[in-house]
Amino acid sequence: MSSSLMQSIRAVLRLKPSQRLNRDYLLSLLIAVALAFLVGAGIMLLCGGDPVKGYTALFQGALGKPRALGNTLAKTVTLCLCGLAMSVAAKAGVFNVGGEGQLYMGAMAAAVVGAQVQNAPAWLVVVLALLAALVAGGLFALLPGVLKVRWKVDEVITTIMLNSVAIFFCGYLANGPLKTADRGIATGTDAIMAGAAFTPLIKLSNLTTGVFYAAVAALLVWYLMTRSSVGFEMKLTGENDRFARYGGIRADQLMLWSMVLSGAICGLVGMLEVFGLHKRFITTVSNEFYFDGMLVAMIMRYHPFGVIVMSFFFAILSIGSKSMELSAGVSSELMLIVQSVIIFFMAAEGGIRKTLANRAVVRRARRAAAGRERAQ
Amino acid sequence: MNDIFNVLLLQNTLRAATPVVLAALGCLLTQHVNITNIGIDGMILMGAFFAVLGSYLCGSWVMGIVFAAALGVLLGLFYYVFVIKFGSDEFIIGVALNIFAGGLTVFLLRNIFKVAGSFSDPGIVPLPTIRLPLIEGIPVLGPLLSGNTLFVYVSWLLVPLIWVFIYHTPMGFHLRAAGEYPDALTASGKSPEKMKCLASVLCGVLSCVAGAHLSLGYLNMFAENMSAARGYVAFACVIFGRGNPPRVFMAALLFGFIEALGLRMQKYIPSDLTAMAPYVVTIVMMVAVVLWERRKKKKAGLEQGIG
Repeated sequence: MSSSLMQSIRAVLRLKPSQRLNRDYLLSLLIAVALAFLVGAGIMLLCGGDPVKGYTALFQGALGKPRALGNTLAKTVTLCLCGLAMSVAAKAGVFNVGGEGQLYMGAMAAAVVGAQVQNAPAWLVVVLALLAALVAGGLFALLPGVLKVRWKVDEVITTIMLNSVAIFFCGYLANGPLKTADRGIATGTDAIMAGAAFTPLIKLSNLTTGVFYAAVAALLVWYLMTRSSVGFEMKLTGENDRFARYGGIRADQLMLWSMVLSGAICGLVGMLEVFGLHKRFITTVSNEFYFDGMLVAMIMRYHPFGVIVMSFFFAILSIGSKSMELSAGVSSELMLIVQSVIIFFMAAEGGIRKTLANRAVVRRARRAAAGRERAQ
Repeated sequence: MNDIFNVLLLQNTLRAATPVVLAALGCLLTQHVNITNIGIDGMILMGAFFAVLGSYLCGSWVMGIVFAAALGVLLGLFYYVFVIKFGSDEFIIGVALNIFAGGLTVFLLRNIFKVAGSFSDPGIVPLPTIRLPLIEGIPVLGPLLSGNTLFVYVSWLLVPLIWVFIYHTPMGFHLRAAGEYPDALTASGKSPEKMKCLASVLCGVLSCVAGAHLSLGYLNMFAENMSAARGYVAFACVIFGRGNPPRVFMAALLFGFIEALGLRMQKYIPSDLTAMAPYVVTIVMMVAVVLWERRKKKKAGLEQGIG
């Protein structure tokens, strides 16, 4: 029993070596998206809606106006960063499923710094909040990282549990000691310093100057992962940690640091949400953003460009779903269903393709056998 | 303190633990055939919804259970087909299933019941409570053992049943073989895939029934995201109990105790903090099991003169 258990735990931990995105895979992706949209259309019909109208509203609502496009791009950035956080840990062979909690901690830390630091120039507040968010996210990832490295405690479960812990903890702070006196805010902290919030790049949209911070972070991480020796060592560790150890790499340290880095990126996402969008911590600062970003990264096999494109697509579904609900009367949750259908198909892509290929072979062989019989 | 530590606390413990026990029993079956089922949480959520749906539409709790169980079979088959047949990553499928469950239940909630957030209605027929006439009279044990809803008793029965099934029947032996050494099972003329399918379907049914207990036996309503990571807790209980039903049961009871204690402490401590407790305890449990195993290994090493 215990051996099979260890095996299965290891199966969760181990990432299948990331295959490249090839033409076949992209073709499958297109088919999966088309199928998912068909499923969505079918559900719309069942609920008495009009799929053409629904999908038009979806894309209109996500791309139609500059403001909508801005929101979609902002959401893309969020998903990309979450995917990046997942990739960083995954490359070193650790699964960080706790990004949601790290995001909350980062958001809370940034909001507290943004609101409490007085009499300081706005740029300093931003820098301090950024640091606070990075540290908060990183520290919150440190715990499962240490447990994993030191005692081999399965980080999948611990990080998932820590998600709930962080969400409830931040909820406690926002409901209790740090509750704002501002009117109209049910559960939230005090607003951050007025001048410190990011300015929108497109009027009234969520796309703010925060996107530059995201870009810098992404570039730094990209450099670290692909152009530095540390990144190479991380990759070796992720692919075969015993081999890495044999080669003199301190695999445990690398796993730990990649986990912390992953948490820090999630903390950054939280900070961007607070300084860009909400201007304070609210308990609904994230709605499972990390899980979306994580799944996008996984089905795109951690391919940077693929993750960006797919994040954009998922952002369209997410942002557009709200206006689809308003103008076509289709509940926005339908897009969650469409998203998961895409993910189901892409996760099973290899298997489905193999099954189909096998069937084709069998059919061909049967036809050939039938032909031979006829010839006799 | 008397208002916290009393018989009611133990009663609540049993109630809170039962969904976790049921889901964990399902989870341990898949664990034995070497499938990691992260999607249990979504299964619980969907089970909870469909139980309410069945109970409300047909006006009978039996139909609620039938709806949930049928859904469980479908979900188990789905998991089997995608993970074993198509060889997909269990982790992706599991997480996606949880997201799917969240989307589907809210979507259906809004489109069938036309409400957002939660649905409670006198039309939902809850699970009956069962009174045990003889035992009822015993001072402390009486209220504890009697007057629970159906699935509390079912879960108690299932623990020894599944234990016997896994460790003392030929089929259970095959089931474990399918996980530990599938080639041997194939060589003996049995199909490991069939065993995996069986475990997956049973896990689906048990998880969905756990959801049914949650919505019809525990709260008598459906609320968005009401599974509240219980599926993951069940998974942790299985790891803690190393797949052995009685041990898993104890772990789930511990979880139930912490949850019940938290609910009753709300008068003194903010509810957000008490709600954290079960998850913290789960993490502590995960660490404890590892340390425990280590010590055992060390001891064994010493006894053999290696350590």
